[in-house]
Amino acid sequence: MLDKDRVILMTRMASYEEGDGKKHMNVVRFFKGDYIAVGILKAIICATLSFGLILALYVYYNFDVFMSSIYDMDILAFVRSILTKYAWFVGIYVMITYVVCTITYNSSRRKLKRYFKNLRVLKKMYDRQ
Amino acid sequence: MTRLLEIRDNIKVLFSKYDVFIIPVLKFLLALVMLIMINGKLGYMSKLGNPGIVIIVALACSFLPTGAILLFGGLFSMGHVFALSPEVAIVVGVIFLLIYLLYLRFTPGESLCVVVTPMLFVFHVPYVIPVVMGLIGGPASALSVVCGVIIYFTLHVVTQNAANVSGDLSDIMAQIRLIIDSLLGNKQMLVLCVAFAVVTIAVYIIRRLPIEHCWMIAMISGAVLCMVITLIGGLVTNAGFSILGIIFGCILSVGVGKVIEFFKFCVDYTRTERVQFEDDEYYYYVKAVPKMNVSAPEVKVKNINRSRVRRPIRPIAEPEESAPMDTAEMDTTELDSSYFGDTTELDE
Repeated sequence: MLDKDRVILMTRMASYEEGDGKKHMNVVRFFKGDYIAVGILKAIICATLSFGLILALYVYYNFDVFMSSIYDMDILAFVRSILTKYAWFVGIYVMITYVVCTITYNSSRRKLKRYFKNLRVLKKMYDRQ
Repeated sequence: MTRLLEIRDNIKVLFSKYDVFIIPVLKFLLALVMLIMINGKLGYMSKLGNPGIVIIVALACSFLPTGAILLFGGLFSMGHVFALSPEVAIVVGVIFLLIYLLYLRFTPGESLCVVVTPMLFVFHVPYVIPVVMGLIGGPASALSVVCGVIIYFTLHVVTQNAANVSGDLSDIMAQIRLIIDSLLGNKQMLVLCVAFAVVTIAVYIIRRLPIEHCWMIAMISGAVLCMVITLIGGLVTNAGFSILGIIFGCILSVGVGKVIEFFKFCVDYTRTERVQFEDDEYYYYVKAVPKMNVSAPEVKVKNINRSRVRRPIRPIAEPEESAPMDTAEMDTTELDSSYFGDTTELDE
């Protein structure tokens, strides 16, 4: 005999497994700290690449100016200012990444908890039968 | 209204039943329109304009993830710009890469918004997108909309300066400077980025408020806000917006928002119920707003499967006297229900 409630629950769970479930499983298989650490590592790489691209474009844009004043400019001060900007850029981006990763992890964990709770309900339904 | 609700339910049922076919077809159409637009607007590389290539790429997009549409769009744009000027292609490539590295890698699901925003600019109705994304997206959608605006204006600046870039300016530095200056000095882009980001977030916040008709209030206030920010921004920066275009776009955005509301958030506020109860720890004040639904009329088709009745062939001829039929000995078990068909349903 088909149990309508059970079928509905199983359909919902199967739909979750196929959709967001996979994504959430991939997130929650890490410890929270590890997941955030990996996210931050990726963020540092991406931010460094992005900063490099922006800097390259900036230098390319002002190439004439750089060439004409290369002997007059204080290279050390220039490098220091670039590094300060880099640190700010990466710092802000990493902070945003930290917040995003934390929210993603917590939300995935919450939804997976609901999924496992549904699994227990399903098991009870089978036991009752 | 009931008829409309029935149509809505039928569309939902149809979509859920045939989504395996409908989604690839929609993705194919979206990719096709996008590639045709890119070829029409840029079109510097004649090879990419080949209909065969366009159809093959659109077909590939139909079964690949949604991000592939954005990827192919970016590659096509880069190809065209590269044919115009490799130096400008570097600038465009850097902008695309920055958008991916800094934002899109977080939210691959938002790539559709980044694809659709430039397309709506080409259709002259970009004001629809912030209201729509505020209604169906989250606060992060504001960044997707801004990315879409930046992508559109990047390509727009390239097409505007195409003659200068390819002809007059042989100096590489001057070409790059021209593109970057045109992009950073584009006041329309700046005003629209601010307006769209503010409107998306405002619509999102208002539609989540626990007030009646929050969706309607959100979309109207979003449209008005968009109109006000764009007009004031346009006046202050001398960006040169079309006032009629803004007004028409904002009105259209409310119309599109209303359609989305009908499909996504159709509730009946007249039947709102307020209940109050308590348990050991809390008092609960619950407001329940019922969804507007119509139960589809159940069409019950009753099949009366009458099997073909084979009537017993009665002998027409008179029985011969020499061989009389003994009806008493005749086996009547064969004349059961199967002989006349199952009559139970008929009896009912």
